[in-house]
Amino acid sequence: MDKVLLKMVVNGKDVEVRVQPTRTLLRVLREDLGLTGTKKGCEQGDCGACTVLLEGKAVNSCLVLALQAQGKRVETIEGLGRPDALHPLQKSFIKHGAVQCGFCTPGMLLSAKALLEKNPEPTIDEIRRGISGNLCRCTGYVKIIKAIQNVSKG
Amino acid sequence: MQRFQFHQARSIEEALDLLSEKGERTKVIAGGTDLIPALRNEEVRPEGVLDILEIEALRGIRELEDRVWFGPTTTFTEIEESSVLKCHFPLLVQAASSVGGPQIRNRGTVGGNIVNASPAADVLPALVALGAELEVQSKREGIRRLPIEGAIQGPYRCVIKGDELLTGIVIKKYPPETRSLFKKLGRRNAMARARMNLSLLVRLDGSGAVEELRVVPGAVMPVAKRIARAEKILLGKKLAPSLLEEAAQVMEEEIVKTTGIRWSTAYKLPVIQAVFKQSVMELLG
Amino acid sequence: MKKRGIGIGSMFYGMGYGFSRQDIGSAIVEICEDGSVIVRSGEVDYGQGSDTIFSQIVAEELGIRYDSIQMITADTFTTPNSGPTSASRLTYVVGNAMLKAARALRKTLQTVAEEILGEKDLLFVDEEVFSESHPEKRISFERLAKEAHNRGLPMVEAAWHDITTADVDPETGQGDAYDVYAYATHLAEVEVDTDTGKVDVLRIVAIVDAGKAINPLNVEGQIEGGVAMGLGYALTEEIKLEGGYLKTKSLGEYMIPTSLDVPPIETHIVEVPVSTGPYGAKGVGEPALIPTAPAILNAIANALGVRVVDLPANLENLHRLIREGLRESQTVGG
Repeated sequence: MDKVLLKMVVNGKDVEVRVQPTRTLLRVLREDLGLTGTKKGCEQGDCGACTVLLEGKAVNSCLVLALQAQGKRVETIEGLGRPDALHPLQKSFIKHGAVQCGFCTPGMLLSAKALLEKNPEPTIDEIRRGISGNLCRCTGYVKIIKAIQNVSKG
Repeated sequence: MQRFQFHQARSIEEALDLLSEKGERTKVIAGGTDLIPALRNEEVRPEGVLDILEIEALRGIRELEDRVWFGPTTTFTEIEESSVLKCHFPLLVQAASSVGGPQIRNRGTVGGNIVNASPAADVLPALVALGAELEVQSKREGIRRLPIEGAIQGPYRCVIKGDELLTGIVIKKYPPETRSLFKKLGRRNAMARARMNLSLLVRLDGSGAVEELRVVPGAVMPVAKRIARAEKILLGKKLAPSLLEEAAQVMEEEIVKTTGIRWSTAYKLPVIQAVFKQSVMELLG
Repeated sequence: MKKRGIGIGSMFYGMGYGFSRQDIGSAIVEICEDGSVIVRSGEVDYGQGSDTIFSQIVAEELGIRYDSIQMITADTFTTPNSGPTSASRLTYVVGNAMLKAARALRKTLQTVAEEILGEKDLLFVDEEVFSESHPEKRISFERLAKEAHNRGLPMVEAAWHDITTADVDPETGQGDAYDVYAYATHLAEVEVDTDTGKVDVLRIVAIVDAGKAINPLNVEGQIEGGVAMGLGYALTEEIKLEGGYLKTKSLGEYMIPTSLDVPPIETHIVEVPVSTGPYGAKGVGEPALIPTAPAILNAIANALGVRVVDLPANLENLHRLIREGLRESQTVGG
């Protein structure tokens, strides 16, 4: 199958990669661009581990054909803060013990970011709803919600 | 993932050109939340997919004097957040808010929900209850309009042909005293397919009798439709427990007539009746 | 109609493998010449926080910062066989091995420090070693480590901790099953929709005896995750097999709780130190999960007067039970 040139802006940088039309955004991010922070969970939109921000909106990247992201802005977990300058959400997650195995964490952080950008002072129910597309098996969501709440108050 | 070509149209015309040539072997993709899993599982095997998300003319929510038009690539999130739709069709907004989770709602579209025609769809039954009209275009025929009731022939079978594109949805406004609600029952409170849902729209006249009633149970039959026989029991009358009971009984009969008795019937029948009665009481207090 | 109920579930659970099955944990702790500390463990930290606990134990003994310790784990070439990461055994079994190794190193350092400072009443605190009665007599941990190395003293200690039990009598079932037990009680408040069979859990209170919570935040995290898992176990999780083939193959079909399904969870850690645990600590990995489903099912029984005996207590099962009014011979609350 012939590859097609895909141009995107990923974490603020222009990116060009040749992809087969059948590739999903998730696979291209992880396998072609080496951005493995976005996780492959169920690959059918049921778990949210593959969440990225596409034009600022939280989406399951396993349900986006890579070519549908042509010319678009994509933000992955690698674009959230820097190791030496963590994003407030990342700091809060660490402080509140919201990370256990960490598999849901990249998607969870991006969903939280998208939520707070739209709704800077969400109620607890709104936070719950905002992360309802991100499954977590380790934490029972308790400290994740607390961590997000903590950032929103500030 | 199976092989297919990827096409992207930037205008309705461009899309229709491609569909007139290859429509039978092409799947239209918008949000992809139904189609991509189907492609992955090889439930469909098109030669190509046509991405319509870049077509401006398919987006937007426009309020007109007596109706509202919205584009098929309107996402569930956009429906949820639309003040126009919240004002005129809260039933539709409730239905859209109940779908999946935020990520699904940010990509899933109303057009996709219609065309995919899943028996467990949430927005489709709400549109049936609201009496939506579909705008469909093709190179062959130009624009044709069809009522949504009748657009779905069976599970996953929408009448829209291979060379046609759904280009708009129109719902006539209801008088302001109209009340409506959408109830969804899922196994969990998010990311759940409807075990059943119920779309209910009712308006009382000055004397307190039922002037209009539209009842659409969803996920209990292969195709969601209004239960006209049940509606007729209450039409023109004041709400009374015996009438409600009778209407619920008729609903059961109509559902069984369509589906026969299946493994889920023992659960779904009494529950949809109970939800129906409880919802009518909730709406009419 | 919505009906509410409250239920309580209690459990006790043996730590480790028990029943004379081999249960040995091990640790290798090394103090380098520059004062940095390396801990080698065969166990895996997959998010439950074992690396943190081991670091805390070693740091507590040596008086250094726990986040300065370098953990090397789960490498069959360099880490000692410590048994599997399971059975709620890491803190209790392997933690004790960490303690032993760290204490052995501390003893060696103590000898050197006594010689250098001329005092015996030494405290290891905040990366320094000093005399309690003469605090001006002090030496940094880093320098002490170098001094110990210079004297050619062993700065690597390996330790094992064995909790293998004698087993129970095959006839009477009496004897020595497990070395120690953890205890927990969960309370659940539920609301049941009797028309649909849907159960919403409104609140969970979890009380766990951790012996000693070496890291309370981690213990809470374990409990909260366990409660969510217990909730799913009680209400929605179901493995369906048809002719030996798995039908519930995906996360869309096998339904675990979402953030909108898990209610507020209030956690209380009770600390009744167990003399055989490191600092009195026990494990909570499995205890976190066990009493939740019983509490929820008891709450459902309290609400409805019917007892669920087949899990999950999902829509159809509960709806059918309510219709059939299934009762056991015992009275159920409500």
